[in-house]
Amino acid sequence: MAFDARRFMEEAIPVIRKKVGGSKAICAVSGGVDSTVTAVLMSKALGKNCVAVFVDTGFMRKGEPESIRELAENINMNLHFVDARKKFYTALRGVKNPERKRKIIGNLFIRIFEKIAREEKATFLGQGTLAPDWIESGSGMRATIKSHHNVGGLPRGMKLKLVEPLRELYKDEVRKVAKELGLPDSICNRQPFPGPGLAIRMVGEVTPEKVEIVKEACVIVEEELESAAKRGEMELPWQYFAVLLPSRTVGVLGDARAYGYVIAVRAVYSVDGMTANYARIPDGVLETISNRITRELKQYVNRVVYDVTSKPPACIEWE
Amino acid sequence: MRVLIVDLGSQWTHRIWRTLKYLEVDSEIISCKTPLDKIDADGLVLSGGAIRIGLGEIKELKEVSNYIDNFGKPILGICAGHQFIGMHFGGKAQPSQKPEYGKVELFIDHEDNLFRGLPKKFIVWASHNDEVVDVPGFKVLAHSRDCSNHAMKHEKKSIYGCIFHPEVEHTEHGDRIYANFLNVCKR
Repeated sequence: MAFDARRFMEEAIPVIRKKVGGSKAICAVSGGVDSTVTAVLMSKALGKNCVAVFVDTGFMRKGEPESIRELAENINMNLHFVDARKKFYTALRGVKNPERKRKIIGNLFIRIFEKIAREEKATFLGQGTLAPDWIESGSGMRATIKSHHNVGGLPRGMKLKLVEPLRELYKDEVRKVAKELGLPDSICNRQPFPGPGLAIRMVGEVTPEKVEIVKEACVIVEEELESAAKRGEMELPWQYFAVLLPSRTVGVLGDARAYGYVIAVRAVYSVDGMTANYARIPDGVLETISNRITRELKQYVNRVVYDVTSKPPACIEWE
Repeated sequence: MRVLIVDLGSQWTHRIWRTLKYLEVDSEIISCKTPLDKIDADGLVLSGGAIRIGLGEIKELKEVSNYIDNFGKPILGICAGHQFIGMHFGGKAQPSQKPEYGKVELFIDHEDNLFRGLPKKFIVWASHNDEVVDVPGFKVLAHSRDCSNHAMKHEKKSIYGCIFHPEVEHTEHGDRIYANFLNVCKR
């Protein structure tokens, strides 16, 4: 029997209610499908005793912090908005190792949630943790592939008790729950976006300038692939984005020497994020992406490459 | 019917659980150190894992040897589980000369119960550093271009192994392979 979203929902709500009891909970939301579904389930279970919290890390996709307010209004969610951009940049200054980056980010998220929980007198923290998050974060004999910020990035001795109703689910199943809950298509079908955000879409150190470069490159990849899909030239990939590489290469722009960064384009088809195959993007679409990135970001980028690796052996994200 | 998944630490152990759940089987993931006398099931699936069977990293798997010898009902080993079964019966576990990650074309040599009703050739996904060859008392059921023993079955017992991963989304006919194994467990 395939996954039954309605049954899942009907079973999940009383479990949350029983776990949290008469206490209060905050729920971490990012604007993605996992955390939105979690927040809605928790609101249904706890009513006013659940407050959603959005943390602007500075590493969100373009327009994300704005659209989360709109979403909160649309689905009538009690939202607490935190601007923590400075804190995140400061904490990551000089850090190059991707696992360190992920753990610092996970830690900082919890510190912020703890502060808000104190203000709200909440003892529980809801998270949209899915199966791949704890699987890949490792435990016992299971190797750590990468520490997901919401599992492997949690600080020791944290006092908030976790509520993770989606722990046994994968992305395709969560989308079915989202539909069952009547969430808008823009949320149900939203492509995955990692919690550490653009901070892990640049190999190496995170700087405000690099965040701006990769943010714009991601917009171009999204626009071009979405438009190609709309024209019927390809099926929209499961996930698609740009990664900024730390190496620089030589180029020639208007007869002058250029020495700029490389952008890697990644686009994959997957169902659950545990295996993935690279998308066969039509040549003309790749060409447009390359031209747009090197022209619109010409001060920084003079080379674009396309990632043709499946998972395994490569992960979908680069860090 | 109840089929338990013995966790050897695979990234896809939970996907085996999902596959069995979708096939409407009562299933649970258990530690590979669970004593055999605590196991009440009609079949066992040994998951894959990061342990390098080909380098002899088997000290965590003592109880699994006991399952293989004394469980007495069907067992299916996946990847590291397959390699461990092969090694247990005296096969040669070794680092693969040509390891396989991702897409692999699988050729079926003997349909047997495991591949009943499936095409002679289809796409599976693998992720292995090691392999096992020359397993006494076993029949090879499938191979790929780079791996001679992709699936095997004990000549007399209902003990099966495959080095690829039928539980992942990109493997074709994966749920049929598990359904076939469940049919063996039913008998």
